[in-house]
Amino acid sequence: MPLARERIAELEALLGADGVLWSDAARFTYEADALTLERFAPDVIVLPKRTDEVAAIVRWARTHGLAVTPRGAGTGLAGGATPEHGGISLSLNRMDRLLRVDPERMHAWVQPGLVNLSLSQQVEPHGLYYAPDPASQQVSTIGGNVATNAGGPHCLKYGVTLNHVLGLVAVLYDGSVVTLGGEALDAPDADLLAVVTGSEGTLAIITEICVRLMPRPQAVKTMLFDFDRIDAACRAVSAAIASGIVPAAMEIMDQHTTRLVEDWLHIGLPLDAGAVLLIEVDGPAVAIEAQAERIIALALAQGARSTRVAKDAAERAAIWKGRKSAFGAYGRLASGFYIMDGVVPRTRLAEALETIVRLAAERGLECGNVFHAGDGNLHPHVLFDSNDPGAQARALDAAHEILRMCIRMGGTISGEHGVGIEKRPLMSEVYGEDDLAAMERLRAAFDPERRLNPGKILPGGGGCGETRAVNGRPEGAPARLRGVATASGDVEGPWI
Amino acid sequence: MDLSATLGLDAAHTLDPAPFAIGGVAPRLAVRPATREELSEILAACTRDRLAAVPWGGGTGLTHMSPPARYDVAIQMSAFDTIVDYDPEDMTITAECGATLASLAAALAARGQELPIEGGETARATLGGALAANSSGARRLRFGSPRDRVLGASFALSGGTIARTGGRVVKNVAGYGIHRLLCGSRGGLAALVQASLKLVPAPEARRGLLYDATAHELRDASRWTFLPRLEPAAVVVLGRDAARATGAGIGNSFTVVIALEDDRPWVEQQSIQIRSALGAAREVVEGGAVPLLLQAITDLVEARPSEAGIQALTLVSPWNSPAALGVVLDDPASPGLVQHSLAGRLHLELGLGAPSTVRRLTESGFIVTEHRGGAAPEPAIPPFRAILAASARIRRALDPGAVWAYGDEWQPRPDAPRTHTTEPRSHDR
Repeated sequence: MPLARERIAELEALLGADGVLWSDAARFTYEADALTLERFAPDVIVLPKRTDEVAAIVRWARTHGLAVTPRGAGTGLAGGATPEHGGISLSLNRMDRLLRVDPERMHAWVQPGLVNLSLSQQVEPHGLYYAPDPASQQVSTIGGNVATNAGGPHCLKYGVTLNHVLGLVAVLYDGSVVTLGGEALDAPDADLLAVVTGSEGTLAIITEICVRLMPRPQAVKTMLFDFDRIDAACRAVSAAIASGIVPAAMEIMDQHTTRLVEDWLHIGLPLDAGAVLLIEVDGPAVAIEAQAERIIALALAQGARSTRVAKDAAERAAIWKGRKSAFGAYGRLASGFYIMDGVVPRTRLAEALETIVRLAAERGLECGNVFHAGDGNLHPHVLFDSNDPGAQARALDAAHEILRMCIRMGGTISGEHGVGIEKRPLMSEVYGEDDLAAMERLRAAFDPERRLNPGKILPGGGGCGETRAVNGRPEGAPARLRGVATASGDVEGPWI
Repeated sequence: MDLSATLGLDAAHTLDPAPFAIGGVAPRLAVRPATREELSEILAACTRDRLAAVPWGGGTGLTHMSPPARYDVAIQMSAFDTIVDYDPEDMTITAECGATLASLAAALAARGQELPIEGGETARATLGGALAANSSGARRLRFGSPRDRVLGASFALSGGTIARTGGRVVKNVAGYGIHRLLCGSRGGLAALVQASLKLVPAPEARRGLLYDATAHELRDASRWTFLPRLEPAAVVVLGRDAARATGAGIGNSFTVVIALEDDRPWVEQQSIQIRSALGAAREVVEGGAVPLLLQAITDLVEARPSEAGIQALTLVSPWNSPAALGVVLDDPASPGLVQHSLAGRLHLELGLGAPSTVRRLTESGFIVTEHRGGAAPEPAIPPFRAILAASARIRRALDPGAVWAYGDEWQPRPDAPRTHTTEPRSHDR
């Protein structure tokens, strides 16, 4: 419900007239992130520019009993930025500055709305970069990355976002401002930074971030292998890890996906391969030749039919473009698809993929797999005709069964996208009552008034029971995703 | 009152409390639960009877800590020492937290992998203790700290419930990472029962380059600026006494240890670059001698303080250079100093009458993260009030009965010296 005009005036007094949006069109724009079947319009959208403005908004929200849902670029796939309980959508997009770089000590202070790739581009003159590279990095923000503890293809070697965050300035539920961690690697007192990272905006609102920067690798080698069978590609991944090499990235596309991408982009992918495996090594120039040779030998021993090594930056970019365009390629084939973010132990990849294909086939559906093989992080896509309600229901059923398989194999339901609204009902299948109760207590300690992104992550958070229908669909159903608008000619589309 | 009877324990489950003394203060009772059910029962009884408990690993760190205000029961976790799951191709391990670091290292070494958690006295130090202490050593920058390595954990809460967060896979954003919050909580929130961790492959080659350095050379920042970008595994500066105690040095100067652990061609090339910048090393150690030396340094730091009247301090700063030592190089404490340069961390032993040393360090950007022995130095660990309030709420939420004795460390203490009251600083200007 839109706010009364006098309330808007109060917010405008805090932020200036251009810092408050409240038209129906604006409220419509902010009613969802990239999970679009869950739509809840905020009462108002605010666009602060500084930490003290965020703190003032939170205090104001407290006075008026409104929820505050922080939002970065809105690329999240789980509904984490959707203002489910109305109230304030707090967009951090205008807090997008690189505040300070310290090239000698290799860190930088940034505002949360800074786009991930922009950070690496801005510190490039110092020979540095920011290692976490979620596939959304051209659009997604550092703040959003911290909120979901984002991964990316290169976190196999370099770790996830948490491993690159030194300090946070955050606003707590009562509007108080705290610094968690700092510029040093360690800090006294409880490590609250480590639990705020990945908490999807439910524990605190992050307003400044000190990130660790790394020296750019001297050299990179990108290799593409093709296999008759996907299980052989998975065995090559295990063999590489067991050999003591940690490649920068290891990604697999199955035959279904490879064909769709090749039909679209014509980048020379083998149409008859059961799977293609992309392996990238980086590091000192003197070391990576030997690493690449060992990996090629291991892949051949596991049955790789051919090896393609990128000759230059252009070929490397083409290979990565193929990998990152999978999502868009599915969109060309089917009118609807569910995407999952499950994780299994690396050693069970082959078994997991076989099961995924079977679970889809049993329901008369096609599926594709493109995934972070080195991390065991699967992104199965179950395709369906969105005009066929029966097919959609079967796809939803398959998606749930696939995530249950991940849990049974010792894995989990989300590796990098977060729980948000979408995976909330499955949390009680991953965790027991005591586990969820401990999480609930932690959350209440940070936010006793349930003001910050209320309802997300923990089951029961919807407030009306988990079986209620949302927009005519049972809550908990993974929703279809809408395409995120991209620049013309950008084939990558939404990001996984 | 016979505590063991109160807790419903027979003699088989109780131990002599004397070895469980913290800072010279022994608990009234020491217990060793054999199963998780027994652990739960003991904790439920502690909650019921308002007893203060400390989970106990190898005691390597706890023995030297300042005693908690209340200390009734030590809970020895050594029965929980099983490796639950280890597959080298997953490059992860799941183990119970009473397992010693040495036993885990041995199991991993057989498969060419390492647990990247450094702690002192690894034959006694346990996984749970290392996590609870947020233990790290010379390779801190390369390995991260325990919270960067822990993938999930099971932990016993004071009421007796055993909860789990995270999992055993390397990526996981399903739910809150309480297992990460427990790293560094010093047993103040829960007793760690089992944990899953990310491993690293053992490096192909290891080399240690040992240099003598004068105070003048250490102060020369330009001499060391090339090092962080070269990404060595560790750079350690040792004062004269620390160098002698660890076998790294024999003379009267400071010793700089540069550890290289990587693929062999890169170790060779790093060696050449270091030689061209610093000249030939006084001594070069190879292979297994490198981790042995780094372990000796960690052990030296962990064993402090060794005598009365001495306090051991750990301080951190954002400075990743030996030059950060400038303000203490002429100090009487300098012969005992150990600096993990890349980690910005300094270990120092001070006589009790040396507050000016700490003041000079804090004025130049160091923050005290740990102190052992003697009274708390001035300034005490600099808490921000808002964090303390949040920490206290977390403590009350996870340990409502205030059973964990070290949870008191998390509470705002109005009597604590508070010379460092800077409010959080915005970097936005």
